[in-house]
Amino acid sequence: MSKSISRRQLLQWSGLSSASLLLNSCGSNLWSKEVGQAIEPLNQATQALLLTQKPVPEYSIDQIEPDKLLINTFAQTPQIDPAKYRLQIEGEVNHPMQLSLGDLQTLPLTSMVIQHVCVEGWAAIVQWGGVRLQELLRLAQPKPNARYVYFKSADGYYESWDLVSATHPQTLMAYQKNGQSLSADNGAPLRLASPIKLGYKQSKWVTQIMLTNQLMPKTGYWEDRGYEWFGGL
Amino acid sequence: MTSARPTKRTKSPRLPTQTLPAKIFHWTNLISLFVMLFSGLQIYNANPVFGGRSGWNFPDYLTLGGWLAGGRNWHFAAMWFYALNLLWYGLYVMVSRRWQIRYASGSDIKALRVSQNAKRKNYALHRLVYTAIIPILVLSIASGLGMYKPASLHWLASLFVDWQTLRTVHFIAVPIFILFTFVHSLLALRVGSIRLIKSMFV
Repeated sequence: MSKSISRRQLLQWSGLSSASLLLNSCGSNLWSKEVGQAIEPLNQATQALLLTQKPVPEYSIDQIEPDKLLINTFAQTPQIDPAKYRLQIEGEVNHPMQLSLGDLQTLPLTSMVIQHVCVEGWAAIVQWGGVRLQELLRLAQPKPNARYVYFKSADGYYESWDLVSATHPQTLMAYQKNGQSLSADNGAPLRLASPIKLGYKQSKWVTQIMLTNQLMPKTGYWEDRGYEWFGGL
Repeated sequence: MTSARPTKRTKSPRLPTQTLPAKIFHWTNLISLFVMLFSGLQIYNANPVFGGRSGWNFPDYLTLGGWLAGGRNWHFAAMWFYALNLLWYGLYVMVSRRWQIRYASGSDIKALRVSQNAKRKNYALHRLVYTAIIPILVLSIASGLGMYKPASLHWLASLFVDWQTLRTVHFIAVPIFILFTFVHSLLALRVGSIRLIKSMFV
């Protein structure tokens, strides 16, 4: 026999290397992206079907769990001067606006005690107080073609919501938590709060609300890294 | 009962056979449950049910998906196969009246208590075990749905009192299913040897 590699050997080796390829991928994502892409349209359609404008039942004040709300940030915690803070509302609206905290506080205050659910698996019953996003959008008047709402935060975080979820009566731009003004860790001066979306959808330190008629390639900080976009509860 | 009673002893006993729906159900159930189990442990590790962030994590080789988002993708894909499989099989069992002959009944309980026939007792125990798993299968769907959609299905989630109970009930399904797979297989072996198991999967 010559030194050249026999056909059988070659086949064995190629078999081994493809097996190791498979094993390697076991440790990492193993088609999880493809599985997500295949099933997400069905999951999203189901969630949209379950979504109504009916308020989710709320909890009583004494059921609040102050210690259970954990702090998650992807970068640093921005310190925002409340006096200089402005909220921009723009995009597909008839009346682009710029609101100060004082402006926001003159609008009707809505308080709710709801369950905040994090994608990680924990949940906390929290009281949030703020302005209904519905109310802000009523003032800004979305154009008929507006379908999505983008939120930009002072720390560079970004999110996008469907307009139906954004106008849910319990979707608030909150400036109070558990009866007190929001702390910087929890998103002061203004953050999203809602019982109908997972925690990563509820941006903190929101400085800009932009309505669009379509989803842009970037849909959200965590979504662009693999979490599902709709994130409905 | 008449068909189960041995009549004349022959050299080659009739091989056990299973209906095609029963085979499809078993295959789909086994595969989707294992996908849900390993991806579920991936999800568990993001925030352990017991101990939260400082809780003990399952080793990587028991997880599927690579990280939380991947685990969720697998989990929420497999749930459709698992739940719809249970649904159509449940309907089939009702419509075909299989529930009258294939599941545990009072006569099995009686056999376990008074029968002197070891084979009959094994058979009764096996029927009792696989009948008892049905409520567990349904309970894991209910607790899973309650956690997946706690706002839309608030009524369902609130049946479980609070979030921690909901998570615990859902997680308990893992050891139960593993135990059940072993016990179900062992009892099937005792009742009908390897031929019975082959008849269900081949």
